[in-house]
Amino acid sequence: MKILWGTDMKEIEMREALRQAIDEEMQRDATVFIMGEEVAEYNGAYKVTKGMLDKWGAKRVIDTPIAENGFAGIAIGAAMTGLRPIVEFMSWNFSFVAADQIISNACKIHYMSGGRFKVPIVFRGPNGAAAQVSCQHSHCVEAIYGNLPGLIIISPSNPYDAKGLLKSAIRSNNPVLFLENELDYGDKMEIPEKEYLVPIGKAKVIREGKHVTLVSYSRMLKKCMAAAEELKKKGIEVEVIDIRTIKPLDIATICQSVKKTNHCLVVEEGHIFSGIAAEIGFQIIEHCFDYLDAPLVRLCQKETPLPYAKNMEAETTPTKERIVEALTKLVG
Amino acid sequence: MTDTEYHFYSSDPKKVIKELGADILREDLNKMLLIRNFEARAESAYQQGKIGGFFHSYSGQEAIQTACIRAMGVKNWYIATYRCHALALLLGAGADEIMAEFYGKVTGNAMGRGGSMHLYTDRLLGGFAIVGGHTPIATGAAFSLEYLGKKDEVALCFLGEGAVAQGAFHESLNMASLWNLPCIYVIENNQWGMGTAVSRAICIQPIAEKMASSYNMKSYTLDGMDYTNTYAAFKHIHEETLQTRRPVLVEAVTQRFKGHSISDPGFYRTKEELEKAKQRDPIVLLKNYLIESNMLTEDEFKEMNKQNIEIVKKSMEYAEKSPAPDPLTLEEGVFAPEDENIMGY
Repeated sequence: MKILWGTDMKEIEMREALRQAIDEEMQRDATVFIMGEEVAEYNGAYKVTKGMLDKWGAKRVIDTPIAENGFAGIAIGAAMTGLRPIVEFMSWNFSFVAADQIISNACKIHYMSGGRFKVPIVFRGPNGAAAQVSCQHSHCVEAIYGNLPGLIIISPSNPYDAKGLLKSAIRSNNPVLFLENELDYGDKMEIPEKEYLVPIGKAKVIREGKHVTLVSYSRMLKKCMAAAEELKKKGIEVEVIDIRTIKPLDIATICQSVKKTNHCLVVEEGHIFSGIAAEIGFQIIEHCFDYLDAPLVRLCQKETPLPYAKNMEAETTPTKERIVEALTKLVG
Repeated sequence: MTDTEYHFYSSDPKKVIKELGADILREDLNKMLLIRNFEARAESAYQQGKIGGFFHSYSGQEAIQTACIRAMGVKNWYIATYRCHALALLLGAGADEIMAEFYGKVTGNAMGRGGSMHLYTDRLLGGFAIVGGHTPIATGAAFSLEYLGKKDEVALCFLGEGAVAQGAFHESLNMASLWNLPCIYVIENNQWGMGTAVSRAICIQPIAEKMASSYNMKSYTLDGMDYTNTYAAFKHIHEETLQTRRPVLVEAVTQRFKGHSISDPGFYRTKEELEKAKQRDPIVLLKNYLIESNMLTEDEFKEMNKQNIEIVKKSMEYAEKSPAPDPLTLEEGVFAPEDENIMGY
């Protein structure tokens, strides 16, 4: 990392980075609390909240029954009346049961009330596919919720961003959907021991290159970086952008890169139809079409529910090989 | 009315009349008249095309929320359905700002963004327009009260009997009971979920009496047409809830005198049924109590009604004269402003 030279760094896992963010914000603000299934006594289904019940007590680390619609709504009501809840969904796929609360209440209340009430709340948990969890536990939700004005959607790809962005999300006065990934929770990285924030709505160039721009986020970036490394061997320099915040989208950073490389591939774990890649692609057309030397290309999940079988699961989401192939075709 | 056998909260009208006295009772009758006149005139404006969207009248149910706020005071969290005009008026939103909201004007209660189903005050978290979707919100307000240690307040959730069929209702009551949240759920059973009779939607009657025990909660049934009964019951429920800090399930049995919304001609209900219901008009009942107790004369009542019509007429003039929202502001306020000091960037 280029930032914070001279500060002490410590290698930690993604889950620990998330826990630190929650812990620090609970320390800073007594109205911050976390609720969800198994977050307290069980120490979290993925151990993000490990040890928090012991430290903060049952008032602020709250186990819920399996009732997502109910507890999501309770948290929204609490947010409207002076608290700053963090709601953990054990999987974002369970948020569909709570969709009415997120869609009809959280994202609309500030506007609908003429600014009389706000909803400072974070919904967080693992999104998308994991290891063979099959059709009902693998959906990427960002395209669905991305269609709703009033929501901020964040999807970090590494522990540094995860911590800094989650802290910003908790401090936000608006509803934030914070999308993690089950397969990333064990990822390790050195991050500063000193407190820091990562701003919402800022993309980051994580690899500089001049031939083609590769835009992605979350877990897919590992595959993108591996593909970029492979193309380097062929003399193709890929510029990789981690959008970090899906909505609001930092289209300026993307366009700046596209204006330089004149080629762009967008990689998304979720489905192709009405996806985030479709949105990014269209915004590129709106903002810097004249700079494109070739049609935009996107790689997304194929149009099936995500199957159980390992080889099928690997086939339906973008793979390193498919990314390499797409990049080669685009600029090779 | 259905032939359900209710066990109404036992109260003595004379005792309530004596306890509250002429000034307060006349004030509340006045409020009920304002609500009735306000909605009646607004309906005419709707028919003239000045008001759009949906419009759900509270006509016939006025005693319930009027008595509730008299018994419990404004300083609680209130949560309403889309049938929210009365609650907004009772909690201090002026006739002007509500009418302006109906007219879609920038001076409206929600700047012309919510319309008739979404009204607010400092203590009203809103009219909510998804049936049952507001029950967790109310439960969350009660959660905040406990979290912040505000022991002198409660949360009031008004819902229709139709919402009882929703999963959100069940989830809310389960968690409110589990976590000892001071939320008072008031089912205003007006017998009809749009055109579907309660007996065709809810598997057991009376709702509160039968269901409350399965949530380990107490229940109360109120005669929603009788101000004195609702007041006495709400006063008791309020005192009890402040003591127990537990949720309670209340059913106020009532009748709406209009359709579900303005576009509903109510063909599912016979004229005779409606006429019978109107014989127990809550405004007439309270008026008669006051006249019998020498607290009001027929002439005074007429004058009171006239004054309210004037208030409503003025609100229509205000709404008419108010400017529409500036289209340039369309995209403002989707997000609440961030606190730059805290965000640090």
